[in-house]
Amino acid sequence: MAELKTEQIIALLAPIIVIQLGLMIAALVDLERDERHVRGGSKLVWALVIVFVNVIGPIVYFVAGREEA
Amino acid sequence: MTGFGALLRKEILEQWRTARLQLVATVFLLVGLSSPLLARFTPEILKAVASGQFQITLPTPTAADAYDQLAKNLGQFGALIAVLLAMGSVATEKERGTAALILTKPASRGAYLAAKLVAIAITLGVATAIAAAGAWFYTLVLFEPLDVAGFTAAALLQWLALVAFATITFLGSTLTRSALAAAGLGIAAFIVLGILSIVPAIGTYLPTGLGAPARALALGRPGVEALGPTVASIVLVGALAGVAWLAFRRQEL
Repeated sequence: MAELKTEQIIALLAPIIVIQLGLMIAALVDLERDERHVRGGSKLVWALVIVFVNVIGPIVYFVAGREEA
Repeated sequence: MTGFGALLRKEILEQWRTARLQLVATVFLLVGLSSPLLARFTPEILKAVASGQFQITLPTPTAADAYDQLAKNLGQFGALIAVLLAMGSVATEKERGTAALILTKPASRGAYLAAKLVAIAITLGVATAIAAAGAWFYTLVLFEPLDVAGFTAAALLQWLALVAFATITFLGSTLTRSALAAAGLGIAAFIVLGILSIVPAIGTYLPTGLGAPARALALGRPGVEALGPTVASIVLVGALAGVAWLAFRRQEL
């Protein structure tokens, strides 16, 4: 097992951070669209799910939270 | 199976346009990349957290720990995503009346179900391949290279287990009009199969029993039989899909 420099660890962590933030932002941008209808009717609840339920929040929103207009 | 090709194209296009395919692939990539990292740094994180208070001695992590972390995360997180993907597939379309509308076209009910299930399996397959590729690469950087053929075979078995959970949920989605009831069935099956997996006589032949041969293949350790559990899971998926078809064939939409 090779010792890693700090820069190498950051390089390995960067894609993970980018993906997590990307998922959250994509879900929030989708949620904010005026024509978007959500399961249960409350966009605020879904915003909280997306932001506070780590990783699985955005995916639950995309897969189960959206309703077709 | 009239209309299967056209329906499958429609389903795959739908997975793409609703961004499910991209989303599931992204989340699986996250799982694939983070698993070897977690395995590599868990001892250091624990040491930092417990600094000075008590002494923890953990063995030096290895590539096997990276694989175990991946298998655990895919087995739990992946199964949950498989349930999410399958829960609404038929139930929601029955509730909205879309299913009845599609089936007025020259397409059989069998083709309608098969196209949906195959599309879910393809989404899970693409995502599992991406997770496995990410995990293999990070394991290479952080530990040592694992055999590509063995790792690929292990990923195939993990994918099969995920397809089994998706199919159980899919059956629930076909039987009811409620996506939540279908999800309930999928999660209940996940818990029950998890418990049954510790019973030696039957545990090996359940989807949850695919973990042991997958691990042996990924780490290049012979001696664990893979054929029996693989065939058993394929038969289970086929049987569940068959029951779904029998129920859906005469169902009022």
